[in-house]
Amino acid sequence: MTLTQDVKDTIQELIKAKKNFRIYPENNPVYARTINSIYSRMTTLLDSSGSLSLKIKQHDIFFEGETVYHSDEKEDNLALFFFKDGIRELTFNRGLPKNEMEDFLKILSVDFEREVLDDDIVTLMWEKDFQFIHYIVDDSILLEDETYEGRAIEEAKKASDNNEGILNAYKDAFGLEKKSVLNVIPLTDEDLGSIIREIENDPPDKSITMIHLLFEMLSYAEGMGEYKELTGFISSTLEFAINLGNLEAAVYTFKKIEHGSSEDIYNKAADVCLKELTNFINSEKFVRLLGEILDEGAEFNEELLYEFASLLDKRAILPFIHILGELRNAPARKAIISILSELGKKDIPSIAKGLHDRRWYVVRNIICILRQIGDTSAVEYLTRAVRHPDRRVKKEAIRTLGLMGTGSVLPVLKDCMSDTDELVRLATVRAIGLIGTPVSKKIILDRIADKNFRDKNYNEKREFYEVLAKWKDSDVIGLLIRALKRKTLFNRAKNTEIRAAAAHGLGLIGTEEVLETLLKLQNSKNKLLRENVQTAIKRITDEKNRS
Amino acid sequence: MKKTEVDLRVAGKTIINQLGVVLRTGHFHDIDNVAVIDAIEKFLNLLNPPTETEGSLRIDLIGEFFYINDSRVRYPLEYLLNFDYLLREFQKRELGTVIFEPQLRIDDLKAFLKVFINATYSGTPYETMEASLEKTRNIRIDKLKKIKEDADIDQRRIVKKTYFNAVSFTEGVMTKLKAGEKVNMKVAKRVVESMVDLILSEEQLLLGMTAIKDYDEYTYHHSVNVSVLSIAIGQKIGLSRKALTELGLVALFHDIGKMEVPKEILNKPSAFTEEEWRVIKRHPYWGARTILKLKGLDKTSIRSAVVAFEHHLNFDYSGYPKVRNPIRLDFFSRILTIADQYDAMTSSRVYARVPLAPDRALSIIMERSGSQLDPILSKFFVNMIGIYPVGSLVLLDTREMGLVYECNPLFADRPRVMIIVDGSGKKTKGFITDLTEKDSAGKYLKSIVKTLDPNKYRINLAEYLL
Repeated sequence: MTLTQDVKDTIQELIKAKKNFRIYPENNPVYARTINSIYSRMTTLLDSSGSLSLKIKQHDIFFEGETVYHSDEKEDNLALFFFKDGIRELTFNRGLPKNEMEDFLKILSVDFEREVLDDDIVTLMWEKDFQFIHYIVDDSILLEDETYEGRAIEEAKKASDNNEGILNAYKDAFGLEKKSVLNVIPLTDEDLGSIIREIENDPPDKSITMIHLLFEMLSYAEGMGEYKELTGFISSTLEFAINLGNLEAAVYTFKKIEHGSSEDIYNKAADVCLKELTNFINSEKFVRLLGEILDEGAEFNEELLYEFASLLDKRAILPFIHILGELRNAPARKAIISILSELGKKDIPSIAKGLHDRRWYVVRNIICILRQIGDTSAVEYLTRAVRHPDRRVKKEAIRTLGLMGTGSVLPVLKDCMSDTDELVRLATVRAIGLIGTPVSKKIILDRIADKNFRDKNYNEKREFYEVLAKWKDSDVIGLLIRALKRKTLFNRAKNTEIRAAAAHGLGLIGTEEVLETLLKLQNSKNKLLRENVQTAIKRITDEKNRS
Repeated sequence: MKKTEVDLRVAGKTIINQLGVVLRTGHFHDIDNVAVIDAIEKFLNLLNPPTETEGSLRIDLIGEFFYINDSRVRYPLEYLLNFDYLLREFQKRELGTVIFEPQLRIDDLKAFLKVFINATYSGTPYETMEASLEKTRNIRIDKLKKIKEDADIDQRRIVKKTYFNAVSFTEGVMTKLKAGEKVNMKVAKRVVESMVDLILSEEQLLLGMTAIKDYDEYTYHHSVNVSVLSIAIGQKIGLSRKALTELGLVALFHDIGKMEVPKEILNKPSAFTEEEWRVIKRHPYWGARTILKLKGLDKTSIRSAVVAFEHHLNFDYSGYPKVRNPIRLDFFSRILTIADQYDAMTSSRVYARVPLAPDRALSIIMERSGSQLDPILSKFFVNMIGIYPVGSLVLLDTREMGLVYECNPLFADRPRVMIIVDGSGKKTKGFITDLTEKDSAGKYLKSIVKTLDPNKYRINLAEYLL
C-alpha cells in the first residue's frame, strides 16, 4: 500500500471516529474500540513517516500535493469543518499520545451546528495546548477592517514631528540632574505563596459577587426601566448559579432583599422590582430549575437546604410538590422533602394539597413531610388520607396519625381496624397503641374480647398483645395471665396461638411476678407456646440481672 | 509514544528547578558540603533515568525559555525564583546549552559546579567554562545564541498585526453595540488567544506596542493595552492559558461603559465640570449593564461585568462608583486596575490630560501599592515593566541618546535601546544596541546615565517603534 493510500484510509477512519464519538458515550465499548483503532492506525503511520502534514482547503485535504479527501457537501465535510474556522494546515507528529488523539477526536465530534458554543474549533484546540498536533491558522478571517493597521500607523506617525523635540531633549540631557531610578522589587517566598493561594482559591463561579454588585448597582439606577433590568440580571445570574449547583446564590439573594427592606435602603420602584425577584425565586420556573439540577446529581448540605427553605414563602410549596413526583433520583427527592419539611411549616393547608396528588408515592411523601413538620393541624388532613386506595399510603397515614394524633383520631383508626388488608390492620393496632390513651386501651381490649378474635391469624393476635403490653398495669397483666393459662377443648390450635401471643406480651411487660406462671409452661409440648414462653422468661431474667 | 517522552515533559520543570537548587546551594556552601552533595544527588536521581533512555539530556536557553531535548519547559509559580535565578546565571555566563550524557556521576557534577561558580569572576565567562570543561566528557556546553535579526523582524510584524487586529476588533465591537448588533464572542476569543500566545512567546514585543500612545482612537487602544498588560501580569503570576484568555477578554471589555459617555465629554480638551465627572463616573455601572445585555450569561460574561463595575473602585475602595457594602475586589479586577492606571497615566487622552513618563508612572504605581492597588500584584507589575520601560528616553555614557526598544527581564538596567541621536549630537536613523554587550575585557560597552521624559519633548514613539 502506498503512503498516500494509507493517509486516505486514515482520514476515512477519522471520519468514522468522528461519527462514533458523537453517538457513543465514553463508557461504551464502541467508543473504546474506535479510539484504539484510529490510534493504532495513526501511530503506525507516524512511526513510519515521522509526521503527517495535511493541507486544508474548502473542499479538499491534500497530502504531499495529492488529494486525500474531497467533498462538495456543506455538511459532513471534514475539509470545510477545519477550513471555516481558518485552519489551513494540520500536522500530527510521531510520539502522539493516546490522550491527545482522544482529545482531538472529541473536538472533531463537536456538532457546531447544534451546540451553542462560544468556542470555535481553533479555540478548542488552542485550549488543549496539543504538543504533537500542530496547526496553521489563517487569522485574516478575524479581521474587522483589513486597512486598520496601515491607517492607524500612518496617523500615529503623523501625530508630531520629532526633529525639534529630539534635539531639544539632547541639549537638555547633559544639564539635567541624574535621577534615581526605581529598583527591581524583590519578590519573597511569602509573596509567591500568597499569589499561589489567591489563584487556587479564586472561585470560577462569580455569581454571588455579581449578585452583590447588582444590588449595589440598584443605587445607581434611574427609573423603573433600569430597576427592572437590574433585577432581571439578578434573576438571570441566579438561574446561571443554580445551573452550576450554586444554591448559596439564592440564599444570598434572599438575604440581600431582606436586608434592603429592613434597612429601608431602596426606593419604592426598586422595592417593586425586588418583590418580582422574590416572586421569581418562589416560582415554578425557579423550583423546576433546582429540581433539574438535583436530578442531575447536584448535592447540597442539609443546613443549606433548610436555610434556603426557611427563606422561601408558601407560594413555592406547590411547585415543589409538583416536581417531587417528577424527580428520578432518590437523593434529589430526599432534598425536596427536606425543603418541604421546612417550608411546609409556613402553610400546612398548602402542603396538605399534595395529599390529593394522583401519584401514590407523592402522597406518601407528603404524609412523611407532615409527620416531620409535626404540626397537629395536619391531623385533620391525615384522617382523610387513611381512605386512600393505595395501602402503602394508608399505612403511612395510619402510622403518622399514631405518632401525631390525639384521642380524637381514634374513631377513624377504629374503622381502619376492619380494613380488609391485614398489613393495614396491623399498622392500625400499632398506631392505636402509640396514642396510648385509656380509650386506645379499651379499643384493643374490646377487640381481644371479641368472639372473632381467635380467628385472626397468629401475627395479628401477637400484635394486639404486644400493643396491650404497653400499659403494664394489673388489669393487663391479669388478662394476659388468664389468656396464657386458658385451655379449651375445641379450636385448640387457635387457642394456643392466643396463649403464645399472651406469653410474648408478658415477656414485654417484664415483671417478675409472672415468672412463676411462665416457668410452668416452659417445657410445653407445643413448639409455638414453648418458644414464646422461653423467650419471655429469658427477657425477664435478663432484665432482672441487668438491674 | 515512548513513555519517557511524556515523562520528560512532565519531569522537565523539576529537572530545571533542581539544577537551580544545585547551583544556588553551590554558591553559598563549599562544594563538598552535605547540602550541596544532597542537592547534586537529587539532581542525578532526576537526570539519570531519562538520559539512559534518551541517550543524553540537552538543556537549551532560547530567549527567556528553557528547553529540554527541544521541548519547551513550562513551570509552576513555586519554581519561579529558581528558574529566574538560573536564567540570570546562564545569561551572565553567556551559557546557552548544557548537554548531560548518560551515567553522570557526582564528581562530574561537582566539576561542573566548580567551573560554573568560578566563571562568575571571569571577564569572558563562557570561554573560561569551555576551557575548564574540556576534560569532562559527560558534560558539554555551548554558547548562548542571539536570536536572529530576521526572525526578530518577522516576529515584530506578527506582533503588530495581532495588536492592531485586536484594536480594530474592539472598535468593531463598540460600533456593533451602538448599532444594537450582536458581538461575535468566538472571534473575541480568537483575538485574545493570539495575544496570549504572543505574551507567552514574545512578551516584550507585545508590551512594547502598548508604549505607543499617539493614536486617534484612545479608547480602543487603551482597551487593548489594558488587555495586553493584564495578560502579561497574569502570565507572570502563573495563570493557565485558559485563565489568561478569560483575563484578556474581561480586560478588553472593561471600558465598554464609556460608549455611553457623550463624545463631547470624552474628548473635552479642558478640565471636567462636576456634572461631567458625575457622568464619567457612571461608566463602570453602564459597562456592567452593557456586558450583561450582550449575550446569555456565562462565567466570562459575569466576570467581565464584575470587573467592568470594579475597575475604578481601587483596592481600598477609595475610587468609584461608591458602594454601600464593600467586598474584596475580584482577583482580575485587582490585576486590571494596575494595568488600567498605568496605561491611563502614560497616555495623553485621559481625564488628567498630562501624560506621565513611564518611569514616573511606575513610581506612582508603587506609591499607590497597598492603598489603591494590590501590593503584591503591583510588585509583579513593576518588575515586569522594568526600570526602563519601552519608550523611555535615555542618555547613554557614550553621549548617545535613545529610546528603550525592548526590556531585558533578566538585566532590568540593560535593555535594548534604539539610538536616535549619535555621540556627536546628530539625529540618526535608529539602530538597535543591546546594553548587555561587553568588550573583550568583560566591561559593558554602553550604559544608561540619565532618563528624560519623552512627553515633555513631544517625541513621537510611533515613528521609531512601529
